[in-house]
Amino acid sequence: MIVREMDSSLGGSDTGSALAVRGLRKVFQRPAVDGLDLTIRRGEFYALLGPNGAGKTTTLRMVAGLMKPDAGSVSIFGIDALARPNAAKQITAWVSDEPMIYDKLTPLEYLAFVAGLWGIDPKLAETNARDLLRWLELAPNADERCEGFSKGMRQKVALAGALVHDPRLIILDEPLTGLDARAARLVKDVLLEKVRQGCTVIMTTHILEVAERMAERIGVISRGKLIAEGTLDELRSQAGSQVGDTSLEDVFLTLVGGEEPLP
Amino acid sequence: MSDTALHPRSLLWLARQEGRLSWRDLVWLMTAGYRWRGRSVAIWLLIVAVVMHVIAWGMVRRYADVSLGAGVESFMAISGSIGLAFFLMLSQALEQVTRLFYGRGDLDLLKSSPTSLRRVLGLRVLSVATSTCAMTLFVAGPFINVLTFEGGPRWLCGYGVAIAAGLAASGIALVLTSALFDLMGARRTRLAAQIVAAVIGSAFIIAIQVVAIVSIGTMSQSAFFHSESVMAHAPDLDSPLWLPARAILGDPVPLLIVLVIGAAMFAVPVLLLAGRLGDYAMAAASADLALGRSSGAGFTGLFLGRFRARSGAQLLRRKEWVLLLRDPWLASQSLMQLLYLIPPAIFLWRSYGESQGALIVLAPVLTMAAGQLGGGLAWLAVSGEDAPDLIASAPITERRMILAKVQSVLLAILLVFAPFLIAMAGRSLEIAGIVAVGIALAATSSTLIQVWFRSQAKRRYFRRRQTSSRIATFAEAFSSVAWAGSAAIAAGGSWVAIGPTVIALLVLAGAWLIRPK
Repeated sequence: MIVREMDSSLGGSDTGSALAVRGLRKVFQRPAVDGLDLTIRRGEFYALLGPNGAGKTTTLRMVAGLMKPDAGSVSIFGIDALARPNAAKQITAWVSDEPMIYDKLTPLEYLAFVAGLWGIDPKLAETNARDLLRWLELAPNADERCEGFSKGMRQKVALAGALVHDPRLIILDEPLTGLDARAARLVKDVLLEKVRQGCTVIMTTHILEVAERMAERIGVISRGKLIAEGTLDELRSQAGSQVGDTSLEDVFLTLVGGEEPLP
Repeated sequence: MSDTALHPRSLLWLARQEGRLSWRDLVWLMTAGYRWRGRSVAIWLLIVAVVMHVIAWGMVRRYADVSLGAGVESFMAISGSIGLAFFLMLSQALEQVTRLFYGRGDLDLLKSSPTSLRRVLGLRVLSVATSTCAMTLFVAGPFINVLTFEGGPRWLCGYGVAIAAGLAASGIALVLTSALFDLMGARRTRLAAQIVAAVIGSAFIIAIQVVAIVSIGTMSQSAFFHSESVMAHAPDLDSPLWLPARAILGDPVPLLIVLVIGAAMFAVPVLLLAGRLGDYAMAAASADLALGRSSGAGFTGLFLGRFRARSGAQLLRRKEWVLLLRDPWLASQSLMQLLYLIPPAIFLWRSYGESQGALIVLAPVLTMAAGQLGGGLAWLAVSGEDAPDLIASAPITERRMILAKVQSVLLAILLVFAPFLIAMAGRSLEIAGIVAVGIALAATSSTLIQVWFRSQAKRRYFRRRQTSSRIATFAEAFSSVAWAGSAAIAAGGSWVAIGPTVIALLVLAGAWLIRPK
């Protein structure tokens, strides 16, 4: 098993990072997250990979303030998220794999409601909402109630909700699950554009191709611990692969100890 | 019987499958999916059965000697009770038949298989009849048992009447649902049927109370059935309208006739409509897919200002009201209790200018209704949050969020009960004040209990919310009853009101102590 060595330039100081997680721990029947350390740079697209039950979602839920950790610290843009949760939430957005929106609201109303929760001026919120809906190709449905929407449309509404308050850190848990190719491409484009604009994105995914193509760095989590981290090349090297074009899938399976790399 | 003895897709094979699904659904309903609750549910059922027998003992023991020669007055009272039970059964059956078409579950699988959908749905209607009868027997059983114990085995005929009524109710429910499909289309039928079911469930008792108030100036159903005006319009002793009453009293021929009529009222609609059941199921599935595309913000959006609120709390309150107003099913379910306020409203109107006794009668009715309505709305707002992650990830403290939701519930209660309080204040400011305090305390208590025992659930499980925490359900009921008693006694000017007040506070304290941490 590869033991990850912390990048000293990241681990030493949290002030320049978008997200710094130290010694994060959460125990249910067994440790779901076990002393996790994680640092994400500002403006970075970071993908968190791991097998089922590795602790990815639990980690992100704790970072987003949806769950209290048993131990450890979470710092978002230098804000202690456990001591000052609302200040941290003000600049954070969360999107889950199962988009939970209000069926009886229209997308415009939903976005106005979300913007209101984040204290955005209603006029600015409406402008943002209309722009986002146009961007996500939902403008024709802006005044229809969400109850008849497909999974892809609901996911896009949820993503628009996450972006309407212009967050600095976007946390996404399997955002592409169940989306068709067009919707998935659109969501990916939106996320990449947000990164270009200076946002930081951390995302879990089981679609390794997505992580490989979109993320600047990839973290691999297993049994609640970060076991490897870096660019794809760095991961290849950590996995002991000498072949330059070894796929992320092979690297991933080697790192999590699932299988030997395929020839 | 072994699996191999049942040929796949045969009627027996399907019946066995349906029976197994129904049984598991029933177990889930009682245990909320927790296997470990099975034993405690069994103990609860036993306790409920014992308590019901004790209640039945107190209520009907003195009627055990009533015989066939008792006369029209007794027939009237028995028929009134049967009517009340029948409307409740019809309401339950109607809801189950609706669920049969709209509870998607395995319908897609069945429709895609070469099995006859007509046969499966026919069996499911039979299962509706079975469960309707079972529920009736569970409720009526203790009364029949007590009467049998005290008055002899002739009272066992009551079971036969209950079964006949269950079959008839299921048949009528099927006819009503089919009529709604044909008249309103699949898209509107679900909501219409659910509203009709809820109205039917309360219609009989409300109608009797309204007629009693208008004709004899009392809300008592018992007094109504024994009143001179009703007796004057009662049919003769040999009228067929008394057949169910005669059957219950042990007359075998009327019992046989009632059973045959009940069976026919079930079998004829099933046979006539069986061919269309599959079409209804297909139409229901298509209606689901077409849902929502044409619906917009509507008047609720305009009325509630399109979420341009100044604070998070204001937004949350508006959101709760909009979601409730836009969900006619939830609104009808949670506001159905308001139907029971119709008789008190008429009573208030009729007795205006008379003595203050009428107001005292209303005090517990309004307080109890406020407690129950408060509990339902609080469950929707707190436990039935559709987007818990969104709210949890927003920069608003949990305390403020809960407070906003509690405010939304209490403001809704205020809106509903204000007209009653204003009308009462015109008669007696003191009693109106007492009732207002009772309403506020009952609604706040139920809301607090729902907050303490909150657990995330889908809003569509509103009708099954009692299964998630029986402690919360009982605490809510006991506190409402205690506050109602307190309001009634206080309105009567007695200091004894302190007694139920202390009980209500103890219930609240107990609920707070044992709330999930």
